Amino acid sequence: MLSALIWIPILGAIAIALLPPDWEAYRYRKIAITIASVVLLWTLVLGYNFNPDQVSMQFVERFEWLPSLGISYHLGLDGLSLPLIVLNSFLTLVAIYSTDEKIGRSRFYFALMLFLSGGVAGAFLAQNLLLFFLFYEFEVIPLYFLIAIWGGSRRGYAAMKFLIYTALSGFLVLASFLGIVWFTQGTTFDYEPLRSSALPLDLQFWLLGMLLVGLFIKIPIFPFHTWLPDAHVEASTPVSVLLAGVLLKLGTYGLLRFGVGLFREAWIVLAPGLAWLAAVSALYGALTAIAQQDMKKVVAYSSIAHMAYILLATAATTPLSLMAAVYQMIGHGLISALLFLLVGVVYQKTGTRDVRVLHGLLNPERGLPLVGSLTILGVMASAGIPGMIGFIAEFLVFRGSFPLFPIATLLCMIGTGLTAVYFLLMVNNVFFGRLTTPVTQMPQVQWSERLPAIALAVLIVVLGLQPSWISRWSELNTATLIVDPALRVEIPATDLAQQNKIRQLD
Amino acid sequence: MTEWLLSSSSIIPIYGLIGAILTLPWSMGMVRRTGPRPAAYFNILMTLVALIHNLILLRFIWHQPPQQVAYQWLQIADLNLTLTLDISPISMGALSLVTGLSLLAQIYALGYMEKDWSMARFYGLMGFFEAALSGLALSDSLLLSYGLLEMLTLSTYLLVGFWYAQPLVVTAARDAFLTKRVGDILLLMGVVALSSYGEGLDFSQLKDWVQTAPLQPFTATLLGLALIAGPTGKCAQFPLNLWLDEAMEGPNPAGILRNSIVVSAGAYVLIKLQPVFTLSLVASDVLVGIGVITAIGASLMAIAQIDIKRALSHSTSAYLGLVFVTVGIGQPATVAFLLLFTHAIAKALLFMSAGSIIFNTTNQDVTQMGGLGSRMPATTVAFIISSASLVALLPMGMFWTMQQWLQGFYTIPPLLLILLLLVNGLSAVNLTRLFRLVFLGPPHPKTRRCAEVQWPMAVPMVTLSLIVLFLPVALQQLDLLVRTENAWIEDVLLLNHWAMPLLIASGAVGCLFGALIPLRRNWERPTQVYLRFFQDLFAYDFYIERVYNMTVVWAVSSFSRFTAWFDRYIVDGGVNLVGLAAIFSGNALKYNVSGQSQFYIFTIFLAVSVILGLAFSGQWEGILDYWSSAFSG
Repeated sequence: MLSALIWIPILGAIAIALLPPDWEAYRYRKIAITIASVVLLWTLVLGYNFNPDQVSMQFVERFEWLPSLGISYHLGLDGLSLPLIVLNSFLTLVAIYSTDEKIGRSRFYFALMLFLSGGVAGAFLAQNLLLFFLFYEFEVIPLYFLIAIWGGSRRGYAAMKFLIYTALSGFLVLASFLGIVWFTQGTTFDYEPLRSSALPLDLQFWLLGMLLVGLFIKIPIFPFHTWLPDAHVEASTPVSVLLAGVLLKLGTYGLLRFGVGLFREAWIVLAPGLAWLAAVSALYGALTAIAQQDMKKVVAYSSIAHMAYILLATAATTPLSLMAAVYQMIGHGLISALLFLLVGVVYQKTGTRDVRVLHGLLNPERGLPLVGSLTILGVMASAGIPGMIGFIAEFLVFRGSFPLFPIATLLCMIGTGLTAVYFLLMVNNVFFGRLTTPVTQMPQVQWSERLPAIALAVLIVVLGLQPSWISRWSELNTATLIVDPALRVEIPATDLAQQNKIRQLD
Repeated sequence: MTEWLLSSSSIIPIYGLIGAILTLPWSMGMVRRTGPRPAAYFNILMTLVALIHNLILLRFIWHQPPQQVAYQWLQIADLNLTLTLDISPISMGALSLVTGLSLLAQIYALGYMEKDWSMARFYGLMGFFEAALSGLALSDSLLLSYGLLEMLTLSTYLLVGFWYAQPLVVTAARDAFLTKRVGDILLLMGVVALSSYGEGLDFSQLKDWVQTAPLQPFTATLLGLALIAGPTGKCAQFPLNLWLDEAMEGPNPAGILRNSIVVSAGAYVLIKLQPVFTLSLVASDVLVGIGVITAIGASLMAIAQIDIKRALSHSTSAYLGLVFVTVGIGQPATVAFLLLFTHAIAKALLFMSAGSIIFNTTNQDVTQMGGLGSRMPATTVAFIISSASLVALLPMGMFWTMQQWLQGFYTIPPLLLILLLLVNGLSAVNLTRLFRLVFLGPPHPKTRRCAEVQWPMAVPMVTLSLIVLFLPVALQQLDLLVRTENAWIEDVLLLNHWAMPLLIASGAVGCLFGALIPLRRNWERPTQVYLRFFQDLFAYDFYIERVYNMTVVWAVSSFSRFTAWFDRYIVDGGVNLVGLAAIFSGNALKYNVSGQSQFYIFTIFLAVSVILGLAFSGQWEGILDYWSSAFSG
């Protein structure tokens, strides 16, 4: 069941790689779209059969792979993985669909895209620490090539920077995992919550610290973020969509699953510091975004700011804030994907992303009116205007962490205010005003280019109006990540029935 | 039947939304053959349906106690978010004000926007606007109200930015959004805090919670200030007042709604939040302070404006300032609602009249107008009626509101009376001045060939004129003016006794002053230095914009430039330096590689002997001990 999510794309990638090399590009694209659609369908089938009332892992698959090393092929799906898996399958399809039909070296390109998707799915499903690590590292390889081959003019630099940073990230995660198994004298790398509780606290700090730095690079959190703007600016649009939409979520998923799950005691001690770091990162990303002139850089720095909210929510580790982290992951995944797609269309049609050059693109006759309107929707969603998923995600994050870290939360909210500043400046420059002469001769935007953006926009609005559709799947599972009675005391218990429900789960 | 009627109330805001969605085929350019008009007709039809539905409901529930309709929206862990609607005569009355004015403004726009190529987009935005406003009128939950206020921020941005190709419009739209957003973010902080401390976010729950509120005074103050900030931005109060004046770059039909009911929407939320402000003296004082500063400052600014819309919009801020003061000193909500109501209707009519003038003269500068009185009779009458209704002099809207307020049911602080006299007098000066500039005097080249506006604009204007004219009668009929829960207060009788005559006198003095001051046409300036100084001071809004630029805007932009520099040269520069150092040292080390095996063997031998030497001399264990002690602590 779950293996199909990993192996359909990977086998599909191999199949594409074995196809004759001299086909027209669009044929590889069609095959890739078919494979991605099958994966998405299969994901939805799994989601349909997923039982939200069951607290443990579902659809578990387990084979002993290398028992002497403690590695087992152990997959499972719970309410934390499910939304991310759906996001991955959906955005993979969006990314492949929005790829240019005439892209060069297309066979290799689509094979890499599918490899990437399979690797990410594996990481979200893995229930064995080393298996997670393998998938976590595995997705770096296709992504490196995707940036290094199909990127912009400084792609070599960006890809190398990405590779070095992420390799370091993987190394630190691995060190932490080895450490926890070694010090607890375990024989397997199976994921069990609360695994580190037997260890002395300062050893936990060492291990958690390594894990955190590793994951912070991936998320990314200030000051480990500088690979991200370069990678985004140089990567092609579909790769940016996947990078921002899904790959960054590996880091935050790691925070929830392994940071909170494995090192709860150390986590609680470090939590105030983490909240402060989140506030710094959010403000830093937002302020830096204001000064950017490249549309993609604005969106990239906004990603840094918005991913920091997930850290804030995770730091608070209340049932509400963990659910909020899931919302923010989905919200950011959809919104940043939409914005990167639209910036990609602007770049493709006008040949530039410089806000000093572009003006008046809302012009209904010769501009990009629909792209402009969708961009306004996207930036408003990102700025947290209600009625879209961005609002409810941010509201839950702030509401979840405010009782524990009021000041850090308020600082993050100022970051939300700054979101409106940088995005509004961008929209005002690029879409408002008078159309300038250098960009008046634009090719028409096809409906096929608009379709993925429209689909994302509809999802953003629908989930914003009906947020309970997400919590229904995830709530019980994220609640199980917290079983620490010491922390529970700090949560203002207003709803006793709900509180009791969680207690019974323990 | 009752149940069904009650639950059907939640449909009313959706009509506007449906209208907005129906315009999409035209605004997206999918239907071109029919022109954009069908989109407008759909919207007007939907608004008409909303109004009728609303009036039926209003009639039905008029003498019934308020009822709540709650929807469970989201429940996660200990957080339970419900969206509650309040079905009461007040909310339904507010709703009918929204739908009624929206209907008139939309019919008016048929004429005003007739030549605009993106009329469909305009109507789409108006539908969205109306939906948000209607929802706000009904909302009984702070969360829902917050959400709808944000929708208003968004639709104001889009409506002000409607003619986005003009540079002034672009800055106006940006300023409108960002200024309101500042207030909204602070309000969001308040909402999050209230949601964390309180029982729930319904206004009725808040009212109960306040009785037992276990808050520190400092927290209560911060909370109060945060909750004030949102309405401050919405109602264009100092220091977030400048957007309304700039927003006059947008199309006028949206301006009609903005100056009458959108600003009132912020105040409406403020009035509902009043119980929370009782928690903190500081918050109440700030509320009064904001109101007083805005009421006086904006009245003065209005007098020096030469743009007709700006002159009227500053006066909007001034009247909303009065509402802030009423809430701040804890005057009863009915007075505040009545004030909002009469102001909204009169201001809407004023803006319709101003819109007619602008449409026919294609000019907003009052110093270049004159002699329109005989040329545009309906517009002139509308201007007179609305001005009379706004100034407490003749027995029309504002007069009866003040009469209701000051007749002796409520304690009136003397300072409040002085404020009322000032605002009333200055408002009279401003309106008389505008009237003389626009309608009297010799015709100007730009007004010489003017005729009365066409029927789509004239019909709503005349209709609203009649409504404003008969408003006092309607208020009497509906018993809105006499009902009060308080008893007659004996000991303040003297002040209250003199209040109304003084107010009438202030209106009369204002009119007289406005009638006598010398008018300046075609950019004339006064010759005296001190007059010039005051004219500039008021005309440039007390230079608040410059203060913004030197403080907030400067701070954000220099911070952002600093972080961008820091990011590029320190954080990323540091990373690149490490990379460079690695490459450089690698390059340097390669000169060590001689290719002679003796050299390699010698290096290995040296290293191994050092390690062995350490191991045998006991140092090794020391290192191991050091590490394990570090881990086990």
